[in-house]
Amino acid sequence: MRRYRDWAGRLHLPTLAALVVVLAGWTLLARRYGAFVLPSPWSIVTGLVEIVRSGEIWGHAGASLGRIAAGFGSAVAVSLLMGLGAFVSRTARGIVQDVLAILNSTSVFVWIVVSLVWFGLSNWAPIFTTFMITLPVVASTLVEGVASVDRRLLEMGDVYRLSGPQKFTAIVIPSTLPYLVAGMKVGFGLALKVSVVAEIFGVTSGIGYAMNYSREILATRMVFVWALVMILIMVATDKLLFDPVNRRLTRWR
Amino acid sequence: MALKLEVRGIGKDFLIPVIDSVSFRVEAGEFVCLLGPNGCGKTTLLRIVGGIEPASRGAVLLDGLPVQADRRHQRHVGIVFQEDRLLPWLSLRGNVTLVLRPLGLDAAEREARAARYLKLAGLQGFEDYYPGRVSGGMRQRAAIARALAIEPDVLLMDEPFGALDAQNRRIMQQEVRRIWSETRRTILFVTHSIEEAVAIGTTLIMLSARPARIRELIPNDGRHERGKLVDDLNAMIMEEVQRQQGDTS
Repeated sequence: MRRYRDWAGRLHLPTLAALVVVLAGWTLLARRYGAFVLPSPWSIVTGLVEIVRSGEIWGHAGASLGRIAAGFGSAVAVSLLMGLGAFVSRTARGIVQDVLAILNSTSVFVWIVVSLVWFGLSNWAPIFTTFMITLPVVASTLVEGVASVDRRLLEMGDVYRLSGPQKFTAIVIPSTLPYLVAGMKVGFGLALKVSVVAEIFGVTSGIGYAMNYSREILATRMVFVWALVMILIMVATDKLLFDPVNRRLTRWR
Repeated sequence: MALKLEVRGIGKDFLIPVIDSVSFRVEAGEFVCLLGPNGCGKTTLLRIVGGIEPASRGAVLLDGLPVQADRRHQRHVGIVFQEDRLLPWLSLRGNVTLVLRPLGLDAAEREARAARYLKLAGLQGFEDYYPGRVSGGMRQRAAIARALAIEPDVLLMDEPFGALDAQNRRIMQQEVRRIWSETRRTILFVTHSIEEAVAIGTTLIMLSARPARIRELIPNDGRHERGKLVDDLNAMIMEEVQRQQGDTS
């Protein structure tokens, strides 16, 4: 019962009303222009049920998530190294920040083209692209977190003669973890969007591939279905992974 | 164990001389209050004594052994800062046990000591609260418990009640006085409040305006009448402030 009320409380009534209006408008437009241009909302839902029943969804979503795990995972790992460097040395922090600023202003398409040249038509194109795009997002929030560690707390650690590792685990990690999680949350969303674009080229699995293939065989409905799959993955990771982790980390607030 | 503290010809320059030359001796178990006009270098002097900041000249000796910044000294110095400087993600208990780790005590001893000093500071029953969930006065009590838990040879306090309201301030003054008489630690206490110093210190040191020298060292052993002492010290501070303003104009 409590669970039900939580859900009811979170649903925003005006948003629901707007949703009804949009769906109604969508349905009317779908009738007017036909399923090839704009499939109806209901047909998208049944399409989703179809790919779940046939099992197609797991193969493609799994392939995309596997590439994201590799690309985004290594971006997080490298970010941690950069964050550590930024903590240890001020010079390193300056270099890292400048490199990240340059990476941050590079387009997704640059990395897709470059990785096609370097790795050819393979898994590595989406993985590398995801890595290069998410690295500056995760790393720059983490470096910002490292820079914002309260010097007065570190001084307190010195006064009480805490060792380097003790200061690191008791002061530095707890103050930067919320930044890391925030960066990862944004980074993961970006990873999903970017890897799907990169999957249009050269691979034969993944949500991006499935979407582009559907377009080629003129199955517009399935393009929308795969878009819905992406949205569901995004919402699920936010609500089931990042939000609970964040709540746990900031329990003391 | 409480130790004798000797400050010998300490001076400090930050571009301009901040502390000219300060020398004094504190006998073991004394409660010394450091007074002086704002910006005269009280906090800097305390930080030098605590080994957080290097001095430009002179030496600080704890029972004859020098304290040096950036060098791990053998003696334990506990510091209570102007702000509580508690880690917000650790409970009050966690904050105290953390600083006991470098002392090489085992977990059970750390817990027992934390419990003992939190109780001494009047925080029994609040051990598991996060700092953000208790009042400013309680946070400062926890900071005091933390400083006492390492059983320091000297306890340094830098305007620890500056952020508290008048009522909490009076309560905390009595508390510190009580804790001092129960533990008999040597305490060096920086304050800008003359009333506070006269109420709790056994020795009062009045610093001059910048660059700081010792203007007066007064034993507060009850031989001086309190009201008169407060008036005299107030007059001294006014003189120093005027001198400082005269210097800068």
